[in-house]
Amino acid sequence: MIGGGLILAGLMLQLSVGAVTWEAFAWPANGIVLAGFLALIAAMYLLHKKVYAFRFIGSYQAAIPTLVYAVALTIIMGLTRQTTNGTWLNNMLAFWPFVLIYVYMAVILGEVILRRVTHLTSWRRDLPFLLNHLGLFLAMTTATLGNADMQRLRMITTVGEPEWRALTQEGGVREMPLAIELKQFIMETYDDGSPKRFASEIQILTKSGQNIETTVDVNKPVEVEGWKIYQYGYDTQMGAMSQISILELVSDPWLPLVYTGIYMMLAGAVCMFVLGKREGGKEK
Amino acid sequence: MTWEEFIYFAIVAVLLWAVGAWAAWKDKTAVAYTSTAIGLAVFFSFILMMWISLERPPLRTMGETRLWYSFFLPLAGIIVYSRWKYKWILSFSTVLALVFICVNLFKPEIHSKTLMPALQSPWFAPHVIVYMFAYAVLGASAVMALYLLFFKKSNITDEEFDITDNLVYVGLAFMTIGMLFGALWAKEAWGHYWSWDPKETWAAITWFAYLIYIHYRQLPKQKPRLALYVLLISFVLLQMCWWGINYLPSAQGSSVHTYST
Repeated sequence: MIGGGLILAGLMLQLSVGAVTWEAFAWPANGIVLAGFLALIAAMYLLHKKVYAFRFIGSYQAAIPTLVYAVALTIIMGLTRQTTNGTWLNNMLAFWPFVLIYVYMAVILGEVILRRVTHLTSWRRDLPFLLNHLGLFLAMTTATLGNADMQRLRMITTVGEPEWRALTQEGGVREMPLAIELKQFIMETYDDGSPKRFASEIQILTKSGQNIETTVDVNKPVEVEGWKIYQYGYDTQMGAMSQISILELVSDPWLPLVYTGIYMMLAGAVCMFVLGKREGGKEK
Repeated sequence: MTWEEFIYFAIVAVLLWAVGAWAAWKDKTAVAYTSTAIGLAVFFSFILMMWISLERPPLRTMGETRLWYSFFLPLAGIIVYSRWKYKWILSFSTVLALVFICVNLFKPEIHSKTLMPALQSPWFAPHVIVYMFAYAVLGASAVMALYLLFFKKSNITDEEFDITDNLVYVGLAFMTIGMLFGALWAKEAWGHYWSWDPKETWAAITWFAYLIYIHYRQLPKQKPRLALYVLLISFVLLQMCWWGINYLPSAQGSSVHTYST
């Protein structure tokens, strides 16, 4: 019922204020929102004895329909073509009903986590529970809120010319805190001509004075002062003779938090496998 | 080692698995274990030799993932058998493995040596192998649900439901690990751990669907048949994630997970 209400509210929001503008959540807005969100969850927990609705949110009866709504909306997302400039169902990530259902799911997770933390009984029962639920909560919220702070830029490097400008996803030019010079572009092919390896030997100069010579391969990014540098592309017309290499530079300051969540879920999954159902998850 | 020789290994392995399945019915536990284990060893030696001769893990094409699936089904079967002594489980896993082997024999897909740079990663093998194992175990839970829903005449016992639940727990645990390995790999390969690529979207759908089953089963009052239907629907969604999206118009050309060259 709450889920249905959220979808209605979402539809009205979509009609009145338009799609969700995630870019507005850049730091410090996302930090404030996260603090407010956590405070809200804590306040709801403190009042759960007084307000029935807050008590309900921490129950299976709330969690199951929300999961059903989430599955239904995500199926729609999987069946429709998603584009960043799409509207309504074609840009699900900015579609209010979808966003509200996932936020509500995070609220439920928050409530059940607090309830469990304040009523610990045995580690065999509680540890897997907390790893799974807190891990998912952490990964979900920080990935979503941190997205606005993630920067992805493309740098076109040319042999023998240090480059410090990069292109944003919107097509703008930005000056980077590091300069990259392409020493050599490497390309190896299989006998049938399909690519086997492409990589760039580069020299990196940072503003802080570091001078690094390294090789960037597909699947082997290089990390320098908070930036991960990826092999992205090359001059496909020239192939192995390419004089340029396109690198992607990614900075994601929220990554450690998301990874903490992911590693907790991994540990939770291992617990789930080792302990099975009876010990691990079963309510009394 | 090439696909030409696959048929010989497959026949020997299936015969050994069949002997194991027969022994399980006859309560000859030791024979069941040994025969199934030797069958697995024979089948795995083929996979290993493919791996060596291809100079890359045989995990890229659908045919190659079916190979792993045929291997993991009897493996999951023998694990379930050792834990809960279910007589029919080995017959079931043998028949299903046989189906996938036959698909590979009659409809082999291109198996070239090439492996594009995007797939050359230490994450590749664990990501796919863990997923295939999860699919095999969840497949077993789906068959359990089918059996309990449509073939069993008497009431469902608690023990039977426990087996189903345990299969789902193990399957979901592996699915979670496979998905998160995928996320960690994606960060290294594509610069982001989660991009809502169609394959990822369907992986999330499947994951949440199994979570519905697990949470529903915790309710004090519940309808057993409804729970089993949830399990079957989840398995249908899993098929969509595994191979269905290859035929889905909305995923055409937009998925970075399609590696058919």
